[in-house]
Amino acid sequence: MFDAQRPGDTVDQKETKISARNVQVYYGDTHAIKDVNVDIESKSVTAFIGPSGCGKSTFLRCINRMNDTIDICRVQGDILLDGEDIYDKKVDPVQLRAKVGMVFQKPNPFPKSIYDNVAYGPRIHGLARSRADLDVIVEKSLRRGAIWDEVKDRLHAPGTGLSGGQQQRLCIARAVATEPEVLLMDEPCSALDPIATAQVEELIDELRNQYSVVIVTHSMQQAARVSQKTAFFHLGNLVEYGDTSQIFTNPKDERTESYITGRIG
Amino acid sequence: MSDATTPKGELQSSIHHMSARTKRRNAAERRFRAYGIAAIAIGLLMLVTLVYAILSKGAGAFSQSFVTMQVELQEAKLDKKGNRNIEEIKKVTTFGYAPLIKDAFEKVVGDRGIETDLKSKEMAALLSKSAASQLREYVIANPEKIGETIEFRFLANSRIDGYLKGRVTRESIANDKNVNAEQLDFADQLINAGILEKTFNIDFIIGADASDQRPEAAGIGVAMMGSLFMMLTVLALSLPIGVAASIYLEEFAPKNWITDVIEVNISNLAAVPSIVFGILGLAVFINYMHLPQSAPLVGGLVLTLMTLPTIIISTRASLKAVPPSIRDAALGVGASRMQSVFHHVLPLAAPGILTGTIIGLAQALGETAPLLLIGMIGFIASNMPQTIGEGLLSPNSAMPAQIYEWAKRADPAFYERAWGGIIILLIFLVSMNTLAVILRRRFERRW
Repeated sequence: MFDAQRPGDTVDQKETKISARNVQVYYGDTHAIKDVNVDIESKSVTAFIGPSGCGKSTFLRCINRMNDTIDICRVQGDILLDGEDIYDKKVDPVQLRAKVGMVFQKPNPFPKSIYDNVAYGPRIHGLARSRADLDVIVEKSLRRGAIWDEVKDRLHAPGTGLSGGQQQRLCIARAVATEPEVLLMDEPCSALDPIATAQVEELIDELRNQYSVVIVTHSMQQAARVSQKTAFFHLGNLVEYGDTSQIFTNPKDERTESYITGRIG
Repeated sequence: MSDATTPKGELQSSIHHMSARTKRRNAAERRFRAYGIAAIAIGLLMLVTLVYAILSKGAGAFSQSFVTMQVELQEAKLDKKGNRNIEEIKKVTTFGYAPLIKDAFEKVVGDRGIETDLKSKEMAALLSKSAASQLREYVIANPEKIGETIEFRFLANSRIDGYLKGRVTRESIANDKNVNAEQLDFADQLINAGILEKTFNIDFIIGADASDQRPEAAGIGVAMMGSLFMMLTVLALSLPIGVAASIYLEEFAPKNWITDVIEVNISNLAAVPSIVFGILGLAVFINYMHLPQSAPLVGGLVLTLMTLPTIIISTRASLKAVPPSIRDAALGVGASRMQSVFHHVLPLAAPGILTGTIIGLAQALGETAPLLLIGMIGFIASNMPQTIGEGLLSPNSAMPAQIYEWAKRADPAFYERAWGGIIILLIFLVSMNTLAVILRRRFERRW
């Protein structure tokens, strides 16, 4: 794993969790991602920013192969998770997705109880040996999702009855219940109000201790608040990648500067 | 366009004054609303007419005229040797029972002091032709009762029944060889004596069809069983096949020209006239596979072919209606595609699938044309099936086919039964559709 690390790319000496090499993504004839190279560190938050349609969500969905469900989507190049190619023929996308969890733009709890929402992942992966085990996992996950105190008295109420912010934290709890190593978040706060957003951001900051978090966001303030590293995408290219502080204060590329100062995008 | 000629000042004048353009627009809207209301009114009027026609003509089928009287089971006629040998008793045909009925009428006339010029043979003609065989069946079943006097309840024949229901009058029988005015007078006297009366007739609902000569004995029950076994076949085949096909096409199949062709063809099949499926069934299931004719199994197979497109289309629509975010959520926590479909998508689509299936079944239940071709139509004298195998394989009719059969017979008493059959069929259809609505309301989830 240390072989895969390229000290020049990182500021502090953290392990590389995911590294992408020459990744190209095509939707039919459209070249959506052009030659992206990026190293994502473990136990840190990486933000992908950029204008709509720049390919940041597409790239995020490549990391857990959610794009496989889109017939016309083709991915070329290598994406390595702990040095292993996730697009290798031997990789089962289902197994990969248990390791690389995902939280979506719109809170999408299953129309089941709060308990069942969280317990679903552990159940299908056989993580719990007994009912008591499962209870422990559910509680732990809900605590990590910072929603335990709000729902502990109504675990069997439907998850869809919660408020938007609570639903999103429930989805995060659901994602962490399968013990993933990486958590991908696709604009997790775009459907939430500022208070719920603040709660989720606080949660993301805590999750950093255990997971590698990759977050796509439209809000540059959010990227600045929660992430350690930021990648700026534009028209399918990864324009600039570096420490968040550096990107926002001293961008190297003209396009990054234009974007963060609000002149493009 | 005509506004171009309107002076500018008028358009900008007081909002309390309606411009010509606004007036025209409002008038057009009022006209459109009036058309809509008129259209609904016409529709409702037709519905009311239909329901009234069906109920007024069909209600009579549910009541029937019965003659209740004491019949002496004379040993001298039924068991001459007096040894109660069942084989010998069976040798007495229905002709042997006719005198018993005549005697019973003579006795009634004598006891009640009814005055009539009718001969006993003419009196007995008031009863259904099934009366003698009803007696015979009773005696064969209970040979020990020979010699006793037992009370029997006989069906009146269709003319007398029609007289009680107002269908037959003294004027209408002027040219009728089956009944004369004296018999009607006699019927009046029997009514007064409480011997002839019209009551609810459960046999219409549970009984079997009867021959042309005995409309009063015909019932729709056996045809109902035929329909039931057909529906079971349709349900058992079309639900799993239809749902499996829809899930594969909607969730797993690649989107390419082959699936496009399949999709177009499924939509086309839904519009194919049912008689085409009938002739296909005749060619394939009967002529080629040699399955029995007139069997509900074959009818069910044909109706399955007809129902499948309906079920596939509605199932695909309800699968499509499940938001993709649910699939993403399941895949995101590492569920396989099949797990995501069976754990999350299918339960959410289930109400829609059920609704589509019930509506497909209701369509199949009312279908007549394909049954014409596989011989489930015509007079099929059959008894209630005793086993499931018999129900599927022995010749039977179906409710709509039975209605068609009755409607084309000459006797007006059958016509009444056809309307009665329609009432029963409609009750089934309305309850199935209501069930579909209830299921949809009950299990519908909102997100």
